Amino acid sequence: MEKQLEELQRTFLEDLESIRDPEQVEQARIAYLGRKGRLTTILRQMGSLSPEERPRIGALANSIKAKMEQALAEVSARIASRQSVQGIDVTLPGRVLRRGSVHVINQVMAEIEDIFRDLGFQVASGPEVEDDYHNFEALNIPENHPARDMQDTFYFGPGVLLRTHTSPVQIRVMESQGLPVRIIAPGKVYRCDFDITHSPMFHQVEGLWVEEGITFAHLKGVLYEFAHRCFGPEVPLRFRSSFFPFTEPSAEVDMGCIICRGAGCRVCGNTGWLEILGGGMVDPEVYRFVGIDPHVVTGFAFGMGVERIAMIKYGIDDIRLFYDGDLRFLLQFA
Amino acid sequence: MKIGYKWIREFVDLDAGALEAAKALTMSGTEVEGAVRQGVPGQVVCARILEAHRHPNADKLFVCTVDAGSGPLQVVCGAPNTREGMTSAFAPIGTDLGGGFVVKKAKIRGVESFGVLLSEREIGLTDDHTGIMEIEAVCEPGAPLGEALDLEDWVLDISVTPNRGDCLSVIGIARELSVLFGCPLKTPEFSIQEADIDVGSALSVEIVDTRGCPRYAARFIDGIVIAKSPFTMRRRLFQSGVRAINNVVDITNYVMLEYGQPLHAFDSTLLAGPAIVVRRAREGERFVTLDSVERVLRDTDLLICDREKPVALAGVMGGENSEVLPGTTSVVLESAYFDPDGIRRTSKSLGLTTEASYRFERGVDPGIQVEAANRAAYLMERHARGRVYRGVIDVNHLQDTRAAITLSAGTLERVLGVQPPAEGEVERIFTALGCEVRRIEGGWSVSAPPFRPDVEREIDLVEEFVRIHGMDKVTPELPAFRPTPGGVSRPSLRDLRRSLAAMGFNEVITYSFISPRWKDFFPGDSLRLVNPISDEMSLMRTSLVPGLLGALERNRRLQTRDVCIFEIGRTFHPVEGAGLPREEERLGVLMSGMRFDQHWSDQPRQVDFYDLKGLAELLIPGVTVRPSDLPHLESGRQGDLVLDGEVIGCLGAVHPSIRTIIDASEDVFVLETVLGPVIERRWKGLAEIPRFPFTWRDLSLVVDEKIPYADIVREVESLGIGEIRKVAALDVYSGEKLPRGKRGVTIRITYQSLERTLEDAEISAWQERVISRLGESLGITLRG
Repeated sequence: MEKQLEELQRTFLEDLESIRDPEQVEQARIAYLGRKGRLTTILRQMGSLSPEERPRIGALANSIKAKMEQALAEVSARIASRQSVQGIDVTLPGRVLRRGSVHVINQVMAEIEDIFRDLGFQVASGPEVEDDYHNFEALNIPENHPARDMQDTFYFGPGVLLRTHTSPVQIRVMESQGLPVRIIAPGKVYRCDFDITHSPMFHQVEGLWVEEGITFAHLKGVLYEFAHRCFGPEVPLRFRSSFFPFTEPSAEVDMGCIICRGAGCRVCGNTGWLEILGGGMVDPEVYRFVGIDPHVVTGFAFGMGVERIAMIKYGIDDIRLFYDGDLRFLLQFA
Repeated sequence: MKIGYKWIREFVDLDAGALEAAKALTMSGTEVEGAVRQGVPGQVVCARILEAHRHPNADKLFVCTVDAGSGPLQVVCGAPNTREGMTSAFAPIGTDLGGGFVVKKAKIRGVESFGVLLSEREIGLTDDHTGIMEIEAVCEPGAPLGEALDLEDWVLDISVTPNRGDCLSVIGIARELSVLFGCPLKTPEFSIQEADIDVGSALSVEIVDTRGCPRYAARFIDGIVIAKSPFTMRRRLFQSGVRAINNVVDITNYVMLEYGQPLHAFDSTLLAGPAIVVRRAREGERFVTLDSVERVLRDTDLLICDREKPVALAGVMGGENSEVLPGTTSVVLESAYFDPDGIRRTSKSLGLTTEASYRFERGVDPGIQVEAANRAAYLMERHARGRVYRGVIDVNHLQDTRAAITLSAGTLERVLGVQPPAEGEVERIFTALGCEVRRIEGGWSVSAPPFRPDVEREIDLVEEFVRIHGMDKVTPELPAFRPTPGGVSRPSLRDLRRSLAAMGFNEVITYSFISPRWKDFFPGDSLRLVNPISDEMSLMRTSLVPGLLGALERNRRLQTRDVCIFEIGRTFHPVEGAGLPREEERLGVLMSGMRFDQHWSDQPRQVDFYDLKGLAELLIPGVTVRPSDLPHLESGRQGDLVLDGEVIGCLGAVHPSIRTIIDASEDVFVLETVLGPVIERRWKGLAEIPRFPFTWRDLSLVVDEKIPYADIVREVESLGIGEIRKVAALDVYSGEKLPRGKRGVTIRITYQSLERTLEDAEISAWQERVISRLGESLGITLRG
């Protein structure tokens, strides 16, 4: 009989697991504790027990009954509470914090900076309002030289202008810092030109590495490294001979068009190539202005337009979008 | 510069196609920006006009019988030069002439026409539309025109860098190609049948300013008949974008394009003397150029004069008073070398750039003047029936003083990082470039030709070498590096940008130049551009606020009203007596519209002053705000940002009149600060972390309205009770329950000790001190 009681408790607990609603609670109560329930049925056999056993089994039966009653009460309370508390609508929108964004030009600039930092370059800066000496003369662009036509300059008066490139930072750094010089100079530059591909204000990153033993092969190595980190390891480069007054030899650097992969498309003007930067070996004439001996020291310089790189990277076709402050544009770069 | 490829090929024996040549030029530094194929539609044929009669119903039309190879056709033509026996270009029915124009059978004033006779312009050969094309060459009627006249060609659009004046000519480009492809250069061969009259008897030349004009060559030609130039010449000029005028003028342009030497032809009957005197202009001297504009000259400008008067602005443009016109019969042909700087100065100061000035500025070949004059004289003899006087006047003060340059093998390696080139490669390249090369110990001695004034130093030779040898042949190599000392590294600026973005602000970049309309609101000196894009972009900003307001204005126009933006950039402040202005890096922030996006559970709220002040407090620990009086901000709702007793910026509501200007109906709040304090992190040492619990007491105060909250805090702090951790404002209210002129301020004072748990009694004692201090100093009472 003791075994029967234990078996009863075990099956009761099992059945309890599957109870989900008040009806099932009532059914279980009748099945186990009702007048014709299983407990009553077992207790009917009490008469067959010896008088010594009766009190012990009676107590056991009572305690099991109490436990079962309590368990049923708990279950029905739980079911009741589950039904009375209304759940929240988890599909309603949450309180989202408004999203902001870092300007895409500064994102691209940071990316460029990171790449060159990894290659050992430091970041330098210089004034945006420059003098003629640093912007032109010391870069081997004397007055009355046709090379001045390459850049339409904003002037404030004689000799004071908005820098047309970040190259004057080269001069300022070489004037003030000992060798070796290994810097990049990101910043704003200005030219009088305004249409969908030209902005009167835009951003450049200038690079300069001056040290004994630096060669044109190194310039190529550094720029390949840059292009591969910025645009992917497969991208081809091509170095075309060109002319800048402050470098010699000079090169324009084209990158295989990342849109058409060289097949020719609208973006690359069907050439398969995109012009991304210019550079070359620092012209000995420039060293003369900053007191470096070109017979001992060599170096390279390069410059790139940040807008140009951002436009290529993100397929932007109107440069004016960068300066409009239109949140619908800016937020796409959040 | 645009040049037809066939013309180039006349000067160089080259098998390469136009595109291959274009690529080689581009890679070696003479960028071909475009290569356009030019042909004639295949159906256009040569046709002979067998008969031409007046149209019965129209005076200006002809009815022609045309032989276009397949039997006589009736064609109606309106060209005035239509005549029997001429050969012209013909498009039969069905010819697609491009631009949507397909030839159809037509009835013109009652007469049927089975095709069209074409002008040169209609075929895209020149811009001549005065009549139908006249074909002088003998050709079979019905022969495709393109083949018969060999008209298939490419036009290369070549961008020549400023150092390569020698490439501004057919011969210059041909020379580059001859070097790049290793094939010979051909110079035109011609001989003039000179007349038996010496040029000296007809003309004298005197150079007064030999610096401005070191060389002046001239020829004299009479018997000229002005007419249209031959077709090939006109076509080539057209390909190069030069308008055909008449044979004499066209020849000067043609030879300029061929040789790179600008020429000028004067009508000699209009020259007093005839004599040529080259002198400086007088300051303020006036002269009317060919384009009928009166120019006021400076004493640095150079003039070509006759015995009495100026007749040309040297190297830039001829004069109206000596122009070659249809009646001209004799000309003085000028072929000179002018000082590049002088021409540039004149061209700049007059704002006048011509094909001639462009070439003189970049330096023409100083050795080619006589040859170019001869070439032009020959062509005038041939195409203008000219009689060329014997000899050339050549006043030449030029001296080539340039010494040979030494190129050492070591320099090639040191600059380029390449292995020594194959034996003979250096010699081959420089010889082909027109240099004299000699092998010397450890290198080469190179003399550059006169047409390469840009080659004067060893490094120029290095460049020439790698340019021709090929930059592609230099193997990229990553250099090793040692760390360099110093340098400015500012990752914190990037952190600031990211933090602001995370807080919902969008970074904008606005122009550094702003409109003068902001001047009243941002007083103080600013820099003004001499040559701005427009007046709206003429002043350098002294504040970031105008740019932010501009961005708000545009966004509001585009229906974006909730605008939280910032900009990090420089402002520009003139400094008395210094050359360059002071540039200050600043942060500007603008907030307008709703603070948060509408949410179903909350009441929407407009941005207010304290949103922006909270940002300032977050970004700049220790900053305080005190009332200010700035013109761009609204009176009573603005303040200076103060840090360590120094004003570092300001914030507040934008002045209502600015809001009117930018059409903003809602409040706009702006903050502007110098950047330094925002990104500098000042570490003050690690603070002890309290181990004992804190306790707080709230006080509801009744305060005179005029007393700022900061005074309450200051008074509490002035008690010097070290256990006071914090004073916070819990509530600020005013209303009917308070006496007039008073407001209620509830503050919470938090106490904590680093040494022990505080007891009620001592806290109560401190509270009493606080209450009595506030009462004594500020007349503050507790709310009952």
